[in-house]
Amino acid sequence: MPPEKEVAIEMVNISKVYPDGVLALDKVSLTIYKGEIHGILGENGAGKTTLMRILYGNIKPTGGKIKVFGKEVSFGSSKDAIKIGIGMVHQHPSLVPVFTALENIYLGLPSNFKEQASLKELIERTGIKVPLEERIEDVSLGIAQKVEILKVLYRGAEILILDEPTTNMTVEEVKEFFSTLRNLKKMGKTVIFISHKLKEVLDITDNITVLRRGKVSGSLPTSQATPEELAKLMVGREVFLKLEKQESRPGEKILRVEDLWVKRNDGSWAVKGVSFEVRYGEIFGIAGVEGNGQSELIEAITGLRRAERGKVFFKGENVTNAHPLKLYTMGLAHIPEDRQKMGLILDMSVAENSILGIHRKRDFLRPMMIFNENKIKEHVERLIHQYEIVVSKINAPARSLSGGNQQKVVVGREFSKTPDLIIASQPTRGLDVGATEYIRSLLLKMRNNGKAVLLMSSDIDEIMGLSDRVAVIYEGEFMGISETSSVSEKEIGMMMGGYKMGEIGKK
Amino acid sequence: MSLQLKLGERYKEILFSISEVALATLIGIGISAIFIKAGGYSPTSAFFYLFKGAFGNLYGFYTSLSYSTPLMLTGLAFALSVRAGLFNIGAEGQVYIAALGAIIAASLALPSYLYLLAEFAIGIGLAVMWSLFAGILKVWKGVNEVVSTIMLNWIAYWVTEYSRSNIFYDPLSPDRTIRIPITGRLPILVENTQLYSGIFISLIVVIVTYVILWKTALGYEIRAVGLSPSASKYAGIKFSLVALEAFALSGLFAGIAGVMETIGRPPTYAIVTSLTNLVNLGFNGITVSLIGRNNPIGIIPASIFIGGLMAGATSMQIFAGVPLEMVQAVQGIIVMVLALPGIIRLIKSKVRRR
Repeated sequence: MPPEKEVAIEMVNISKVYPDGVLALDKVSLTIYKGEIHGILGENGAGKTTLMRILYGNIKPTGGKIKVFGKEVSFGSSKDAIKIGIGMVHQHPSLVPVFTALENIYLGLPSNFKEQASLKELIERTGIKVPLEERIEDVSLGIAQKVEILKVLYRGAEILILDEPTTNMTVEEVKEFFSTLRNLKKMGKTVIFISHKLKEVLDITDNITVLRRGKVSGSLPTSQATPEELAKLMVGREVFLKLEKQESRPGEKILRVEDLWVKRNDGSWAVKGVSFEVRYGEIFGIAGVEGNGQSELIEAITGLRRAERGKVFFKGENVTNAHPLKLYTMGLAHIPEDRQKMGLILDMSVAENSILGIHRKRDFLRPMMIFNENKIKEHVERLIHQYEIVVSKINAPARSLSGGNQQKVVVGREFSKTPDLIIASQPTRGLDVGATEYIRSLLLKMRNNGKAVLLMSSDIDEIMGLSDRVAVIYEGEFMGISETSSVSEKEIGMMMGGYKMGEIGKK
Repeated sequence: MSLQLKLGERYKEILFSISEVALATLIGIGISAIFIKAGGYSPTSAFFYLFKGAFGNLYGFYTSLSYSTPLMLTGLAFALSVRAGLFNIGAEGQVYIAALGAIIAASLALPSYLYLLAEFAIGIGLAVMWSLFAGILKVWKGVNEVVSTIMLNWIAYWVTEYSRSNIFYDPLSPDRTIRIPITGRLPILVENTQLYSGIFISLIVVIVTYVILWKTALGYEIRAVGLSPSASKYAGIKFSLVALEAFALSGLFAGIAGVMETIGRPPTYAIVTSLTNLVNLGFNGITVSLIGRNNPIGIIPASIFIGGLMAGATSMQIFAGVPLEMVQAVQGIIVMVLALPGIIRLIKSKVRRR
């Protein structure tokens, strides 16, 4: 950087320890210059958002200093941050849906507000064109995002923090959005661009800071960055969990997915023509940054979401859009991604949760569908013992269990079905090392016993350590399917950022 | 062993419920006292007779129990729906239509021993059908059950009222329908009181429902759907089936209540003008359910409490000289205040689920 460049933000040794003892940020330092677009890159949970929320005054750091335009600051709340010209646009626009864009921009202005530039002028200069008279609920998320940016700029923001702004945008919208950002840069605004999409960060930023597990793993000018290097920095070089992994002996196909198309709740396409197969005796991994359609894909396969197009075959039978119950009786078990909303009923007891989905199994019933409570008790106590679930008593509501123990209830229950195929979505998310290893070893054991596992995870280590074959999903499409042994984590990281497998070699 | 919380842990909850009801009653009495005073009557004597009429002597107590008989069932109808995540307020209309069913049975020429059976069969059948209208609309077209049951309540009201005045009226006393034949009536339990044997039926139904809800796979599914629609979908529970079951069961309960009120309560054994002997049985059931925390066992004391309020109101009118309209206002105020905590809880849980 040329020395005459003015420093906009300097963060020195920022640490954040959450009350539950989680170290979210560990002495993070970074410098952002005025008039640049600075990319903050990192996986989910790397600390990107925490860092930015500290800069925006949302949360207080445990330690460290922040300087804005050379002056040390300490924010009580985001109001203080707004006052000195920092504006943040969140991933999900915080606008009033029934108000028009204009009303939203004016909403909540202080009574003594002095505008630096009229709204019209601002729109002309930035080139952010939005339909001001339209209600927010009637416009696309991309436009809502722009309204939010306009709102922040109108309040005089000099520094803009954009948290994964392109998540909800189409390719076209992203292009247009980037030209807007370049305009802002020309106007001398500073933009902080948070993302996990390698392509976009390389495309738009001037400098990049990469975070990994709460630490800065690298900081470099974009001109010197290559996708390979960024992927390496993002994913890290740490060794995977070492699990005894025998040679895989894949057998027949158990699951076959053909050109599957699935929609999100809002009607947009989440999965766009995905095909793959899972064989007996293998773990098939689906990697990808969250929100790229993998959840919808799993839901469609497990009968929880409609597949609009395409086919699913399980054990040779066409089970496209079959009822979950049918799949379960055919030998499928499903560890759902969201244990609190799907895997468990939090207000029911641990015992009741231990039979969720198998509550009509004959073992648990007496005539007239009356529960055989002794059998249920045996069942839940077996799970508690086998999976070392910490629970005060079997009648305690599942809500009272810690996250890890809740997950163990789900995992234990699903394994107790002795399935032929287990679909595990984020099976170890939020678990401590011990529980994580245990669950991973169970998945491996299943595979070694000749059963099949479909593993969906956004944890690259997990995917690389467990899967025999891996597919990477990006914006609803597979970027590639490969034997895990013949692909590097770096390549996986790049595919997660939107590079097709064929493209990687050429770069 | 039981899959539920143990009694020791339930103590706190029960104590809390009782103190909540007590506090609400006091507030209700306080507000009503202002009205009574403003109307120029003595609040002290009014509430003295209210209490005396409800629980002050054996006769009052039997009357209270007799009023609680149908409320237990309509309360149960609402509670079961809430457990399934449904806000079904159709018991009111189902009571009317079930009563009409009993009168239809009474109008038939049957061997005398068949009347009881026919009354229950036709009355319950109609009530279940009535409830299933709302249920089918819900699962088929997603029609909100609050809207559909309110509308069905009014339809039931006018169908029954029309039938009373134009089809089944008693030529000797056209203000009411024909009366239930003697062999078609439920036996009276205590001579010279209104307490009839239906209370045993109510109690049995309540206990059976408790067992269904907490000891069977059917009840498990009903509660699962109510607590977490997404998790129950994952568990392969068919929402539409469970919803229809819940509608059918609550129709069944309201139906039994409507039939029993008509064939059990002395001295009328008929449906009277404007259905005054049936009106509000369903709606008061909602209060009963809310006070009883939508738990079948809690509904028993709750229904006796509300039954007592109704019995005491009569005595307040007769002995304290408070006019009927004022008595009804007082009743309304107390019921409303009593239902408030439950309503707030219900709304909260709905909001939390969003």
